Amino acid sequence: MKQELKPSARDSLLTFADDVAHQGVAVRAEAAEPERHLVIFSLDREEFGIPIARAREIVRVPEITRVPQAPPHIRGVMNLRGRILPVVEIRTRFGLERAELTSRSRVVVVEAHGRMVGILVDVVSQVVKIGESAIVPPPDEVVSQRADYVSNVARVGPRLIILIELDKALLLENVSTPAPLIS
Amino acid sequence: MSAKPVFLVVDDSRLHHQMYMLVFAKGALAGSTLLHAKNGREGYALFTTHPEIEMVFLDLNMPEMNGLEFLERRRSENLHPHIPVVLVTTEDSAEDEARGRAAGAWEYLRKPFTPAQLTELVERARARGVRT
Amino acid sequence: MNDDAGNPFAELLEEYVAECAPLAQAVGDTLVTLERRWEEGDPADQLFGTLKGSLHTLKGNSAMLGLTAIQALAHCMEDVCAFLGERPDLRPAASGLLLRGAGVLVEMVGRAARGPLSADRSEHFISEAREFIQAESVGTETSAPYPERRRFERRTGSEVGELGSDGVVSTIRVDARRLDGLLETFGETMIAGLGLREAVRDLAIRHRGAGFTDLEHALTSLEKTLKRLEGALMATRLVSIATVFGRFNLLVREVANAHEKRVGLVTSGGETQLDKTVIDRLGEPLVHLVTNAIIHGLESPAERERSGKPSEATVTLSAVQRSDRVILTVTDDGRGLDPERILHKARQLGAVAADATPSREEVFAMAFLPGLSTTERVSALAGRGVGLDVVANSIRTLGGSIEVASEPGKGTKFTMSLPLTLAVLRSLLVAVDGERYALPLGDVAESLRVTNEAIHEIDGHGMMLWRGQVIPVSDAAEVLGGSARASRNYCVVVRSGARRRGMLVDGLLGHQDVVVKALDPSLGRPPTISGATILGDGRVACILDTARFAELRATEASTATLS
Repeated sequence: MKQELKPSARDSLLTFADDVAHQGVAVRAEAAEPERHLVIFSLDREEFGIPIARAREIVRVPEITRVPQAPPHIRGVMNLRGRILPVVEIRTRFGLERAELTSRSRVVVVEAHGRMVGILVDVVSQVVKIGESAIVPPPDEVVSQRADYVSNVARVGPRLIILIELDKALLLENVSTPAPLIS
Repeated sequence: MSAKPVFLVVDDSRLHHQMYMLVFAKGALAGSTLLHAKNGREGYALFTTHPEIEMVFLDLNMPEMNGLEFLERRRSENLHPHIPVVLVTTEDSAEDEARGRAAGAWEYLRKPFTPAQLTELVERARARGVRT
Repeated sequence: MNDDAGNPFAELLEEYVAECAPLAQAVGDTLVTLERRWEEGDPADQLFGTLKGSLHTLKGNSAMLGLTAIQALAHCMEDVCAFLGERPDLRPAASGLLLRGAGVLVEMVGRAARGPLSADRSEHFISEAREFIQAESVGTETSAPYPERRRFERRTGSEVGELGSDGVVSTIRVDARRLDGLLETFGETMIAGLGLREAVRDLAIRHRGAGFTDLEHALTSLEKTLKRLEGALMATRLVSIATVFGRFNLLVREVANAHEKRVGLVTSGGETQLDKTVIDRLGEPLVHLVTNAIIHGLESPAERERSGKPSEATVTLSAVQRSDRVILTVTDDGRGLDPERILHKARQLGAVAADATPSREEVFAMAFLPGLSTTERVSALAGRGVGLDVVANSIRTLGGSIEVASEPGKGTKFTMSLPLTLAVLRSLLVAVDGERYALPLGDVAESLRVTNEAIHEIDGHGMMLWRGQVIPVSDAAEVLGGSARASRNYCVVVRSGARRRGMLVDGLLGHQDVVVKALDPSLGRPPTISGATILGDGRVACILDTARFAELRATEASTATLS
């Protein structure tokens, strides 16, 4: 297997820029309306959005080391420039099956509860600005399955983007925090 | 006058040395050199070899030669009588202060003292030309 | 006078605590000794002088930092001492009062850097002291209820603080977090060095014959330097265990008095050094062990005399370093543990089969099982429900192990083995189902090739003969929550105290020093993983909790016979 060098922040930005360039033009909303700046990723065919302010980095997927008997939905840990980052398998959290990694899989590094966590996603589609008017409460069929982590949806043309409550989606509130041995 | 002013601190508490360092790092006294000794014996040795000392801050209560003993030795040897020695005391030692003055202390400084009080002593000594 | 917000020396608060906390502690220790001497009729004037000098310094320092409550407390204690100077007959009676003051002093000084201090306890002491002096002054010529300050006396006590011979301060206080940061950076350097080593190895393989000796020499030289750097860096983090032992004089006295026991404390090996990360966490388990020993382990003075023991019991704390570990013991000469009662309780809890006949060591090991308490009495101090299982957990979290040995009627000895540091680990790397794991090398007794024939299935458990012992054996993947495989080629014999257990793995990948990183809290607390590290190729490897592994089903009888 090809030896993957640790991506520097610059590399990860360039990677992301490549991806965005291939996806097309970012959607612009009407001026003078309050907007939300979102990162959109997809799992199977559905699209999800999180506020860009929460996304620290987007990196290619390195080796993920399995942690035996870790909580469910944790795929493992990865090395992020010398820091050991837990990686959440958001697919299984959302009730989907684990997927094979492809060249377009990415880890979105987010900050939650003062800690850094990585989210494994199939594809990062784009970064968009969406006007508040496009954001509406979720329709019933979306809510029934996913009540706890869905906040709203955004309608952008024919697309339905599910906006998620990151902290609830990552299930981090329930985890107790033992004192670290070495900070 | 072009040389940096030199002061001697004689105190067995490391914390006090750090406090003096703080005071002499800022404001009017910045740029001075501080000599440190942890008891009267060491302090006396430094006092002997550094006639350029401008003022001595002498704690009273130290092992191996306390403040009073330091003063008494200086008086008996008549060593550097022009260098003002400030005896640093606590608030309830009026008797010690009297004895100190009798033994040759120029002034006393009562704990707790502020940086301003210390600076004032130095300036007062300079103004009166205590040090010839 | 000066309130904290406006105190010009406020930035020296940490330094104040650094200088005055040990001083306050020393006041307490000196008083414990003085109490004893005064009881024996020895006025101990020199030691008394030292005490007064320390109180004087504490008073002055506290005044300078605007800590008026502590200043008033020290001043009051000084006054009691002055009063006792003229009344040596009162010294034994006053020692209890002074010791209480010392306790308050230690507590307040320790908290001084953490925010405004409440003067409740100090004021309470001051009124107590005044009452004492007033009560004892009746009938003497002193008309004033509060004696006038006497002239200060010449002190012959030891010096506080270290100043170099040229008058310049020779030590520097460094924020511990900076040292942690240094260690992290060093860890990255080490990882980079490992990566470099692998790259050179690959190159050398690919270009056989091409002169790589210079490169390899340079690399070896770099690795040697890094090793020395590691040693120097780890040394900066070392703290003497005396700082932990020092707190026990007062504690032993307090607990002993509260439970009407007479106890003397002996310490040895205080100069033994441990990394700060370990020392910080040792205090609590040691306090529990010592408190338990005094409350439950020691007999009353009368009982002791009846059994021909000295009426004063002895508790000993000792530390000694053995290669990369420190061995700590807590010993008492009390009534010892009753193996019958432990076994009985363990059977009641269902931890042992009714017909099993465990050896004496195995029974003592059961003392650490949760829910096991060998006394029905619950006192105010021990009543907080801290059992030996909590102590054992704390020690294990530090990567250590604990055992107990006892002779009923003679005494009890707890032995703990602790790593010198939690930051860097000498490890053995193993491969299990394509994943790599690091095992603390200190916990590995031996690693060897095995064949299927060597493993015997007895009653559903694997066993093998190792160095004449029958030891239990488990498949590593199974322990890690996966499934066992039919055959694995290697067995690592893991030890924890006296217990040995074999772990079956696919491959042995060599020894490596690894920088230990704690697991992110979001990973929960996997029972078999104690941390993680980044290896030379940049990939993460989990560190196995070998102590936990070795103790799995520890009460399992290993007396099965082999056919």
